[in-house]
Amino acid sequence: METEIRIKSSAGGFRQFTKNHGIIFITIGVIVAATIAVWIKNGDPWSFLAAQNFINILRANSVTGVIAFGMAFVIISGNIDLSVGSQMTLVGIITFNVINVTGSILAGLLTAVLSGVALSMICGFIVTKGAVPSFIITLGLSYIYRSLSIFSLNSGGITVGDKAFQAISNTSLGPIPLPILYFFIVFLLYFYISKYTVMGRRIYAVGSNQQATRLSGINTNWVKIQAFALLGLTVGLAAVIEGSRMNSINSSSTGNGYDLNTIAMAVVGGIAMEGGKGSIVNCLFGIIILAVINTSMTILGVNVYLVNAIKGAIIIFAVLLLRSRGKLN
Amino acid sequence: MEYALEMRGINKSFSGTRVLKDVDISVEKGHIHALVGENGAGKSTLMNILGGVLPMDSGQVLLFGEEVMFSSPAAAQEKGIAFVHQELNVVNDLPVYENMFLGHELRKGRGMIDARAMITQTVDVFKRIHVDVDPKAMVRDLDATSKQIIEIAKSVLFHAKLIILDEPTTSLTGFEVENVFNVMRNLTSDQGVTILFISHKLGEVVEFCDKVTVLRNGELVDTCVMTKADGALLAQSDIARMMVGKNVLDVEVYRKRELGEVILSVEGLHVGSAVKGVSFELHKGEILGITGLLGDGKNELVGALFGDEHPTAGTITKDGQTIRPKRPADARKLGIGLLPTNRKENAIIPALSVTDNMTIVTLEDYVSGFTMVRGRETKIAEQFKERLNIKVERLSDLIVSLSGGNQQKVVLAKWLIAKPDIMILSNPTQGVDVGAKNEIYHLIMELAQEGVGIIVTSGEAQEVQKICDRVLVMYHGDMTGELEREELSEESIMILSTGGSLGQ
Repeated sequence: METEIRIKSSAGGFRQFTKNHGIIFITIGVIVAATIAVWIKNGDPWSFLAAQNFINILRANSVTGVIAFGMAFVIISGNIDLSVGSQMTLVGIITFNVINVTGSILAGLLTAVLSGVALSMICGFIVTKGAVPSFIITLGLSYIYRSLSIFSLNSGGITVGDKAFQAISNTSLGPIPLPILYFFIVFLLYFYISKYTVMGRRIYAVGSNQQATRLSGINTNWVKIQAFALLGLTVGLAAVIEGSRMNSINSSSTGNGYDLNTIAMAVVGGIAMEGGKGSIVNCLFGIIILAVINTSMTILGVNVYLVNAIKGAIIIFAVLLLRSRGKLN
Repeated sequence: MEYALEMRGINKSFSGTRVLKDVDISVEKGHIHALVGENGAGKSTLMNILGGVLPMDSGQVLLFGEEVMFSSPAAAQEKGIAFVHQELNVVNDLPVYENMFLGHELRKGRGMIDARAMITQTVDVFKRIHVDVDPKAMVRDLDATSKQIIEIAKSVLFHAKLIILDEPTTSLTGFEVENVFNVMRNLTSDQGVTILFISHKLGEVVEFCDKVTVLRNGELVDTCVMTKADGALLAQSDIARMMVGKNVLDVEVYRKRELGEVILSVEGLHVGSAVKGVSFELHKGEILGITGLLGDGKNELVGALFGDEHPTAGTITKDGQTIRPKRPADARKLGIGLLPTNRKENAIIPALSVTDNMTIVTLEDYVSGFTMVRGRETKIAEQFKERLNIKVERLSDLIVSLSGGNQQKVVLAKWLIAKPDIMILSNPTQGVDVGAKNEIYHLIMELAQEGVGIIVTSGEAQEVQKICDRVLVMYHGDMTGELEREELSEESIMILSTGGSLGQ
């Protein structure tokens, strides 16, 4: 009798595990598929699975990955932000100018973080006070940011004179390039915020039922603005990581497509668009899935014009898979 | 005697738990037959079997003498069974007639919608059941009663012979309930329709139904005729006793207490045109009832106290200080709590667990440095689970997995943890079964004894009568009367809440 019960509960435990961690299986599936595809392509079964390859994948996606964690909070709070790509460009241009004028990299870092947070908080303020869907507001803001960027540089680019600035993203700690380290630091910080802080709990509550949260004596507008601030912080950091790595920002091309890419990472990572649901750990897996897809298609030499079509199809498939699992359980 | 419906020996189990045990129910044609029981008694399961939503394990269903077995809701519908669910399924942005035909629109030839025919048929149905609603009105502009009546009229339109109504009057008060029942009465007497009526409101059951069937823990307790042989009506307490298996309605909850000093005073408060110059005082340890019919302004009044509505004139004084809460967050800091109406929209945070729902008001209390300490949260949640007798397997379960009564206790707990000086309870027992209702009344009484000033708003005269020291009655934004406990009666409340005066 006792054994019977134990078997039953362990089966239940496994089902519970796959339900909660289905994203892990999808991640493994995507990596296996990419490995096989690359194997077929160049005849070497190990080329995709090499450690260096994974380091490359993470480094190439560390900038969008960092923003995706911030995006997760905004989506959990029941909003969306379509302006992060152009916001990052504008913040980068401001930062580069500050470094070039003051000669201080530290001043630049502070500028990046503060202007990133400030712009996002203004956005959050307009969204909450105006009670307008964030979709519309951030669409408008993305035009404003991009236009101001292009106007300020007369559609050109900008670089930083001080070579020390490039060290921020082009240094390695042992085999690990620093951008990957920054990415995991942001992950740990945002995981902590989501799980162990009052702010994190309130962001989930607001996204799940704003009215009930407000009537629990919580200033829900402020909570939503905080979620935007968390996104703004990642945008500021991303501007520094990207700017340092390239040592240049192009007013019209830098950050293009980052909005949808980061949203895709969060959504594939199980952050529900209706708000209130999703975990930062799963979001990490969503980022890895998208990163693997992005990079493996480059390795496979897929026609550049087709890359987005394939990516879009994979995103839709992954989300449908996660959804149907959720429903079954 | 002709039966519209006979269900015999119905059994149903969910994963090993028997939720219906050999249940029999017979409903006479043309009757309004009530089905009552606490949450979890098996009412919904039984009705879902009848409506073709769930299959039964064993048993027999006879509809007008013919044995039937429905594999889907559509099959049940075809045989003339209409199931009107508790939640209103009307579309606010469509006119009445389009709501009536939603999904079955009449067309003329090439897919064009035949509005005229739909309006004519709607008028016809409304006339048959004596309903006075403009078929071209937008549903948004209708009150809750009319929306409910549209739902019922829909089933008449599609020739239902047996209508199942699942708690159709939960959100209605006094006259509105009567309106809905008048329509139901017309249906049964003029149209020969039979109605199965599920309700928690025993007053309505006794007043309007012909028979009542009581279920408890999945078993049939009894079916009784409402008018006894000697002509007297069955007592509500009799039904309640059958539902819970013990004497609950007779339990005296109220206890006389010494009241403290004035904690809150409201002077000439106006809220737009909803509240017109209301003044009153609340003492420490007092339970003050505010009652009235729909549109009386009581919700706007307490909303203003909680910072959810903005007073246009007047003053609110708490502990001698004038306060102006701009939002609920301000009210919370001032020591005012609110248990709102409509739990699902206003009080439940569905994505959070039972514990997290309980601690949402007091999050700062569990913080050490920046970090929330899970252990502190769990400890307090355990404590209030015990104190409020909340039935939940694990506190980490989502709140939506609980029954209505237990959800309400969780909502109450989140404010009790915050230890407010003033607690406002709006419809505290809405959608709560009899057993949990009494537990909530006891809790309110306990709170009052601890010195909390309590305001209870309710549309149910019985409720305020049961627990309040004093009751204010409102009518269209005016305070029409103030009744001390000794003066309380359903009659006096009804007179004042319809704009009359007690004429002394």
